[in-house]
Amino acid sequence: MKRYLLLAFALLFAAIYLFPVYWMYATALKTSGSIFKYPPELWPSEPLVQVSRVFAEHDIGRYLWNSLLVASGITAITMLLGTGAAYALANARGAKANVALFLVIVLQVLPPSLMVTPLFVAFNHVGLLDYPRTAVVLATAAKTLAFYIVLCRATFTQVPRELKDAALVDGNSHLGAFFLIILPLARNGILITSVLVFLQSFGEYVYSRSFIATRELQTATVNLATYLSANSADWVGLMNYAGIYVAPILIVFILLQRQIVTGLTSGALK
Amino acid sequence: MNQIEIEHLNKNYGSLQALHDISLDIPVGAFVALVGPSGCGKSTLLRTIAGLETITSGTIRVAGEVVNDKAPRERDLAMVFQSYALYPHMTVEQNMSYSLRLRRRPKAEIDERVGEAARILGLEKLLKRRPKQLSGGQRQRVAMGRAIVRKPKVFLFDEPLSNLDAALRVQMRSEIRKLHKNLGATSVYVTHDQIEAMTMADLIVVLHDGRIEQIGRPLDLYRRPANRFVAGFIGSPAMNFVPAEVTADGRTIAIGTGTLLKIPRAQEPGRKVLAGLRPEHLRLDGSGERLTATVDIIEGTGSMTFIEARIGSDLLNVAYAGTYETEAGAPLTLGIASDDIYLFDPETGRAL
Repeated sequence: MKRYLLLAFALLFAAIYLFPVYWMYATALKTSGSIFKYPPELWPSEPLVQVSRVFAEHDIGRYLWNSLLVASGITAITMLLGTGAAYALANARGAKANVALFLVIVLQVLPPSLMVTPLFVAFNHVGLLDYPRTAVVLATAAKTLAFYIVLCRATFTQVPRELKDAALVDGNSHLGAFFLIILPLARNGILITSVLVFLQSFGEYVYSRSFIATRELQTATVNLATYLSANSADWVGLMNYAGIYVAPILIVFILLQRQIVTGLTSGALK
Repeated sequence: MNQIEIEHLNKNYGSLQALHDISLDIPVGAFVALVGPSGCGKSTLLRTIAGLETITSGTIRVAGEVVNDKAPRERDLAMVFQSYALYPHMTVEQNMSYSLRLRRRPKAEIDERVGEAARILGLEKLLKRRPKQLSGGQRQRVAMGRAIVRKPKVFLFDEPLSNLDAALRVQMRSEIRKLHKNLGATSVYVTHDQIEAMTMADLIVVLHDGRIEQIGRPLDLYRRPANRFVAGFIGSPAMNFVPAEVTADGRTIAIGTGTLLKIPRAQEPGRKVLAGLRPEHLRLDGSGERLTATVDIIEGTGSMTFIEARIGSDLLNVAYAGTYETEAGAPLTLGIASDDIYLFDPETGRAL
């Protein structure tokens, strides 16, 4: 009985939480006229698929491509720098390692809206703003790195130390042992964390909004917001745009949700 | 000729000194056990030989060559770990062939050596399995197989049997011993179990607090312990220690209630000593040097009878091979041969 009650609660809260996503897709299928109908229709009486029209009209392909570029760049840099750092922090013991880990976590705590001004000034000085997408990648990677390092470190601590010793005795160098033994064993955790980093960077807004001035280079998140102004808003177009943008994220998440949940908890539990 | 020579080895972890001035020669083909209580530095010593720990000072030579600054892979040693440390993402075959593949040996040679090792260890049917699908004993064999395919100069064992159940441990003990004899390589074996050391090793190194207490053949350690620690560590049940004083003629000692025991070698009269009496040397027929005691506790297992007896305020454990029936509180006349009485300095613990 209690179980069903809890389940009902869980479903209720999930429904409340997911309602905006549902409303987004439902609205995307309405006509501009039926949006403001009262009482509102939960599901449009005459659904109208306008995805391809909106896609072409708003040149969504270009902005999604920008988002993809930025997100891929962020994920690549994070993995490249973060994996080694996470491994080092998983192995190092003592006060210095704790300080290093603390500093890493502080990176994660600082909000982008706070960091954006000093970063803007700094990037401007070194001329990075001429390459705005690179600037966004670097700025965002600084934040995702912290998240990545903390989670991957947990993964690495799960790999028994003796395996590395065995590899060294068997004939590996330190680097060889890392790539041939440790990395394959930490692979799942690394991949899941990377997917999370990718999804997070795909939705990055603050840095893209501030650093990218040229319209052609904007990411989808920022471009999407430009359709929303005080006087006029193409709600149907906007909802279609948002729907298109969210679709890949949802698909990846649904495909990998089991691994993501186990991947995240395996470090904490056990 | 010596396979491994260690001279004045010291190992510090920050301010903590884990190994103190270790000097040790291990002859080619010997089976050497490093034994001691946990935290005595035996695993650390093994890991310094393997090259997994750096040393603070001293030299380590393998086959006459100084290896202080050599990486583990350049030392031609194979190691079997307590947790077996099998690579979980590889099959048994891949685990065993890993070191050969790293050395880029020809495929035919790898197959042959892995096949041979699998045959010796009875692993032929398991080659395609992963470590997760094996029992503890099978994993242990794979760990051994991984070491023997390399045909190394030296085998290092770090408590390889401590995760096995008692029956399997006894079986693997003799198998490792046989394997050592057949392969003829030098073996260094770390254990905290003195029985394991006594039954397997040609040479035992007893370590305590990072220092070597004594090096010797198993029975030499048993018969002539250099100090109180070794005397108490080697032998089971452990030796009894009773405070005593050498009498005026220097030929006998007086214990607890004034009982006099003749000692094998004359000592300085009036000197305070610690008398060591092994439980199995105490006889129930009262022959030899005689002690009168009362029974405190008696435990019979059929083949062995263990009695805890009391002489004054001192407790003595007696191990008797056979059955003996008595009851708590009953008087007991014990005897011991004069030659079986050990004497130690109560301060330094040195054997006298």
